[in-house]
Amino acid sequence: MPVALKRMIVATLLLAAGSAAGAAGPRAEVMHWWTSGGESAAVRTLADAYRAAGGTWLDSAIAGSEQARAVALSRIAGGDPPTAALFNASRQFRDLIDQGLLNNVDAVAERDHWAQFLPASILDAVRVNGHYYAAPVSIHMPTWIWYSKAAFRKAGIAAEPRDFNELFAALDRLKAAGLIPLAHGGQAWQDNIVFRAVLANQGGAALYLQIFRDRDARAIASSEFRAVLTTFKRLHSYVDAGSPGRNWNDATALLITGRAGVQIMGDWVKAEFAGAHQDAGRDYGCIPGFGPRSPYIIQGDAFIFPKSSDPQALRAQLLLAGTVTSGAAQLAFSSRKGSIPIRADIDVHTLDPCAQLGVSIMKDRTRQLGNDESYLTPDQNGAMADVLTDYWNRDRDVAAVQRNIAAALRE
Amino acid sequence: MKAARPPRWYADPARLGLAALAVSAAAFFLLPLYVMAITSLKPMEEIRLGHLFSWPTQLTLDAWHAAWISACTGVACDGVRGGFWNSVSIVLPSTLIAITLGALNGYALAYWRARGAALLFGLLMIGAFIPVQVLMFPLVRMLGPLHLVGSLAGIVLVHVIFSMPIMTLIFRNHFAALPRELFLAARLDGAGFLRIFVLLMLPLSVPMLVVAAIMQATGVWNDYILGLVFAGREHLPMTVQLNNLVNTTTGTKLYNVDMAATLLTSLVPLAIYVISGRWFVRGIAAGAVRG
Amino acid sequence: MNKPAASPAAARRAPNPAHLALLPMALTALVVYLGSMLWSLRISMSSSRSLPMQDFVGLAQYQRLFANERWLHSLHNLALYTPLFIAASLVVGFLLAVLVDRQARAGGLLRAVFLYPYALSFIATGLIWQWLLNPELGIQQAVHGWGFAGFRFDWLVDQDRVIYTLVIATVWQGAGLVMAILLAGLRAIDADILRAARLDGVPAWRIHVSIVIPMLGFSFATAALLLLTAAVKLYDAVIAMTQGGPGTASEVPAKFIMDHLFGRANIALASAGATIMVLTAVALLAPLLYARRRALRASR
Repeated sequence: MPVALKRMIVATLLLAAGSAAGAAGPRAEVMHWWTSGGESAAVRTLADAYRAAGGTWLDSAIAGSEQARAVALSRIAGGDPPTAALFNASRQFRDLIDQGLLNNVDAVAERDHWAQFLPASILDAVRVNGHYYAAPVSIHMPTWIWYSKAAFRKAGIAAEPRDFNELFAALDRLKAAGLIPLAHGGQAWQDNIVFRAVLANQGGAALYLQIFRDRDARAIASSEFRAVLTTFKRLHSYVDAGSPGRNWNDATALLITGRAGVQIMGDWVKAEFAGAHQDAGRDYGCIPGFGPRSPYIIQGDAFIFPKSSDPQALRAQLLLAGTVTSGAAQLAFSSRKGSIPIRADIDVHTLDPCAQLGVSIMKDRTRQLGNDESYLTPDQNGAMADVLTDYWNRDRDVAAVQRNIAAALRE
Repeated sequence: MKAARPPRWYADPARLGLAALAVSAAAFFLLPLYVMAITSLKPMEEIRLGHLFSWPTQLTLDAWHAAWISACTGVACDGVRGGFWNSVSIVLPSTLIAITLGALNGYALAYWRARGAALLFGLLMIGAFIPVQVLMFPLVRMLGPLHLVGSLAGIVLVHVIFSMPIMTLIFRNHFAALPRELFLAARLDGAGFLRIFVLLMLPLSVPMLVVAAIMQATGVWNDYILGLVFAGREHLPMTVQLNNLVNTTTGTKLYNVDMAATLLTSLVPLAIYVISGRWFVRGIAAGAVRG
Repeated sequence: MNKPAASPAAARRAPNPAHLALLPMALTALVVYLGSMLWSLRISMSSSRSLPMQDFVGLAQYQRLFANERWLHSLHNLALYTPLFIAASLVVGFLLAVLVDRQARAGGLLRAVFLYPYALSFIATGLIWQWLLNPELGIQQAVHGWGFAGFRFDWLVDQDRVIYTLVIATVWQGAGLVMAILLAGLRAIDADILRAARLDGVPAWRIHVSIVIPMLGFSFATAALLLLTAAVKLYDAVIAMTQGGPGTASEVPAKFIMDHLFGRANIALASAGATIMVLTAVALLAPLLYARRRALRASR
């Protein structure tokens, strides 16, 4: 298709979307899992932006990301799909694309030049065979290292740890001071986050990609990876007896009350600190990784757009894709969600210091890494999580763990 | 039921023992409720301290207010009250139809010969072992073409389908335990299928009907995954809101609001339990048999 | 099915009203349950991921299933949990029923107290149990606070004991229902029999053991089968209390199926698991139902 013609079609579509008002305007039923307080405030900014653009936002909030995706899949299969549904920017919706169940939003993506500002791993997830099948909305970084300034003071730790040796030294001092060194919620997904933090920071980006992207059997069997697994397991000796089964926010509460020193968790913990009126820099610190070259892991959320028998649906979908990715909507959303914007071309000085730190790291594209689920199928990812949580909780021979991981990723 | 002149309870070691057992059992059962209730009355700052059993230093009803009226679950900020009437309108027909069908099935299976009935019942019982989530997907596909997905009729039908194995089982076993002579005598008197069911069997089954109502109403009231998929946006039950409040992975959890919302949402089943007590009276069988 | 029945001649008069009454049940059993089972069976022999596909891969999914450590561990846990849960619920439920039955004044109140856990969604009560059983937060901590520093109750975080905490919490939730079923059964027992026994001077405990329990046979069977279906489908409590942890120590088959059905987008493997569960149910139920039919026929 010639570019000019494409432009014209886009313009017509967007004009139609923009000019229609009231009940005649596009109506979008949007399915997502943002149900807690801060998440609600964040999604409301998207709904407001959509409304301001002339659309009607019908909210279908379903708690729990797996649950929400399950309902979306059921409704797509039952012929009653929502206009848009939230998925992780990953391989989760690849089957839907392959079976031709999704509309593309190429018109908007090309108009707004998504390819220029989206991080590579997100772009790879939403653009398949040259078509854009999802509109990314947020980037979380799951492997931040948080610490309580009060606990560090009590343990006499003067400076932020800059590598794993210093981290272990700090954990030892916390332990000696009678505090819980590592506040950890012993649930499989949280164990997995700690593992990825060690892999990215000790193993480095190269090993990270060899494991997750290439599923390289030699890398899995390597002594480097063995060292990563050993460090991961060593962290287990710093958790308290109440750790298994604990929710992540209860672990954060241990930092907030100064009873624990360190937690390794995604940037959504900022909402928990904010709820307790604690500020980054004053009450707690955030370490994105060790060293000036530390990777930044990108965990993205994106809306997909199921095909529908409703002829108006595509119009509503295009308007939505354009609205949620716009600079203003991104800024308003990120500040409430605790995430960072999906685009690098906006001024972020209104965001909190940790988010600004994240944005500045993201400027260096070589430091960006995809989340595990952007490389692995959900099934491989789950099988690997089973191996890791088992290793975290039991005494296992590291070589056997390496073999089990190789088996989990072979499927 | 009692001996002619029972000794005072404190003078009778057996009854004293029973009373002690009752009190300690009640304490065990109430402990989680106590923790729930006081948690719902504490502000989050106090909950973060982790003193599970301690009485709130500052009692507040804020969480209850938020849970009922103002807590946000996505774009909407209406607490859990929004779906209350939807839940009622789902529970009433689902319970009535399910119990009626269950009792009818049980009665027919226990007393009447029908070709292949035992095999069908066996099939139904096997179905009771499949998690509903496994059945959800094929059911969506079956009901989709009938335009029953996303309607009140659809969700009621789904509840009736999923409860049928258990309801049928309960009533079949219940009727099988009644003396068969009752049925045979009624047959000799010339009473037919429905007449025996309505005039003889149902009055004999009041406590079991109450148990079935308790099970079905509670199950339907607490369901949310079926409501989510089959009820449609217009009829979402209030548990969808409850789940949205309580169940979040990376969102912040407000435990006080969670607990208040859970207690509020459970008020209807709890009321059913308390009210149903009066139908649990002894001696129905004796009266009906001899009467 | 075709054996001549010893029923009254009138019952054979056409049209059989029972056939008409059982029509909804027949439709449900054949279309929904049998249909879904066959569908699952079909999917389990395909390579479906997040949506059904129509290819055929034979028993590959079953091979993968039984090579999976977590699945095997789930089966092991279920085999441990099920008998414990059923036995404990029946015993506790019966004791509660007797307690409620014998307390003329407080009976109504006690019944509500024992039944209320059944009304609460497990999402929140599971969290409460997680707190209560957490060694740093709950009962162990409280007892330490009373000065018994040596007291240990940390099953929740113990790989080998975590399954018992699931038994405790689910019995707490389900025993009240067993009580209600047994109470309804108790109410249907001819009061004259008990009165006669009591007048003969038979002690209360013997009346219960020798007369009441045998007469409650059908009620116990109902409750046991109900508990069995609940045990096999055990899921909510695991999600709310342990999420299958510590590690994979409290994984159960229903969670394995659910994880693969949705989060892990492998409905073929999930369907293989579901089919195995159905086959297990058939293997357990068929002899039970057959024995009952024979017993019923013999008694008539």
